Amino acid sequence: MPVIEVEHLMKDFMIAKRETGFLGAVKSLVKREHIKKEAVKDISFSINEGEMVGYIGPNGAGKSTTIKMLTGILVPTSGSVKVNGIIPYENRQENAKNIGVVFGQRTQLWWDLPTIESFELLKEIYQVPDKRYKENMDTFTEILGLDEFLSTPVRQLSLGQRMRADIAASLLHDPPILFLDEPTIGLDVVAKEKMRTFIKEINKERSITVILTTHDMEDIEKLCERMILIDHGQKVYDGEIAVVKERFGKTRTLIVDLEESSRSLKLRGGEVFKEEASRFWIRFNRDDVSASGLIAQITETHNIKDLTVEEPAIESIISRIYQEGYQDLPETVKV
Amino acid sequence: MFRFRLYWTFTKKAFLRSAVYRFDVWSRLGSNLIFLLMWGSIWTALYAGREEAGGVSFESMLTYIVVSQFLTGVNGAGTPLWEIQEKVRTGDISLELMRPFDVPLRYLFADFGSVAFYILTALLPLYTVMFIFMDLTLPSAWETWALFIVSAFIGFLIRYCIEMSFGLLSFFLVETGGIVDVFYFAMSLLSGSVIPLWFFPGWLETMALYLPFQGIYYIPNAIFIGKITGEEILLSLGVQLFWAVSSYLLLRFVWNRASQKVVVQGG
Repeated sequence: MPVIEVEHLMKDFMIAKRETGFLGAVKSLVKREHIKKEAVKDISFSINEGEMVGYIGPNGAGKSTTIKMLTGILVPTSGSVKVNGIIPYENRQENAKNIGVVFGQRTQLWWDLPTIESFELLKEIYQVPDKRYKENMDTFTEILGLDEFLSTPVRQLSLGQRMRADIAASLLHDPPILFLDEPTIGLDVVAKEKMRTFIKEINKERSITVILTTHDMEDIEKLCERMILIDHGQKVYDGEIAVVKERFGKTRTLIVDLEESSRSLKLRGGEVFKEEASRFWIRFNRDDVSASGLIAQITETHNIKDLTVEEPAIESIISRIYQEGYQDLPETVKV
Repeated sequence: MFRFRLYWTFTKKAFLRSAVYRFDVWSRLGSNLIFLLMWGSIWTALYAGREEAGGVSFESMLTYIVVSQFLTGVNGAGTPLWEIQEKVRTGDISLELMRPFDVPLRYLFADFGSVAFYILTALLPLYTVMFIFMDLTLPSAWETWALFIVSAFIGFLIRYCIEMSFGLLSFFLVETGGIVDVFYFAMSLLSGSVIPLWFFPGWLETMALYLPFQGIYYIPNAIFIGKITGEEILLSLGVQLFWAVSSYLLLRFVWNRASQKVVVQGG
């Protein structure tokens, strides 16, 4: 059952045109010209209950604009949005009860007060019953280790602790839908991992629908099965991450260390793109040649000391897609 | 439906938050005292040993200044103009749109908490001592005290609505220096906070009487020192109520336009 339905969504902004020079400045005092910027142009998708979807795209693609329309703080220029059966911008306060929002770049907690005070305030804001509040606090304390800093003022928390507190805060009122905007930004490796584990767990156990915007492709890879890729306000891909990986991830890199330094290495189906003393980096396509085939070729003339095969991370795939365009994206799911 | 418990929680949390800023409380109290001394000296010099000026005794004038500084302390403990502007700029206020509460009311109730803390810990002890040890004209009837408190409270509401409205103008303007100047000019002069309205030249007094700012300092103060008495008090309270309602409607109007702008323009 879809909990989020977006159809032909569009959002235009009128941006004041800046005149240059002295005359321009005087002119803009009296009269301002505006130019139209289409932040989101015709995006449609639907997300089912319990899904965890990566909503990604380069800076300025229209991600935040879409999220803001889903939270109700932006009215679409045209098209329709429905979140849990409610039109967000028509009924913002009702919609607020169904969503939890975490912005990695800012906090919803009261900066100067002990963390627990913000939780108590949110309990009142969302009218969470005492019993449910206690249950949730116990659960979150257990998984996120909140107890170590509940009485510490928010401004003294480490970034990792603040993020944990923020995500707990967004879930206190049991929202069926959670929007995460860069939830792991700035966190160290361990803290990122903890955060991902928690998101995965609440998604599974509470079947909360999660929409995740991030620039960290590892988040997407570890958490989501589906991703929606947008650019210039348009959807360019919507489907399984595995498909993209399958399609763009056929290139492998074989790195070999030879026992003796060799001047050249000629291989069928593989291309040496970097070499350093006795180490060679060989790019090959999995469909044309197998790693073992390549290795066999090398061992005919050389002795291999060590080798590794590298598979491209979604990170490099996405950056390739950003740079090279979307023409090669799978036809079946391309919009 | 008005959810009192929710807004009351904001009051409680803001009260607690003020306790964090102890240094802020002391420094504000310090500057309040300095201003009190300054205005006290100026008025002493202006009276130049005279018993009376403009139909008001020196003692009453001194009382006026003390009460005025007290009210300045009360009104200054709320969310100041620059902080509202800052919250508009950073987008904090826009984001509060997605919470299930009314934003202007949420800030009002939070201000109640901050102000209550400041009154209880700083203003009340200090001014009680002053009332006891200085030669001031204190109201003898308890009714006058009660009316003063009511009037000061309405004045606080007027000030809140106007300051919030001015602050929210940041949604529409890139530079707000002019707005700030106008606001503080009106707040210090037209409100009668440093010079009582009866010393104004006729035209300025008339102008001030037709503006809401006198309801913030002048009216409660004039009730306190007995410049306004009897039925006049009710009339003044009526004027104050009129301005409270008007400035509240202004705040609602500005807020609606501001949130409309946020949802259409993205803030």
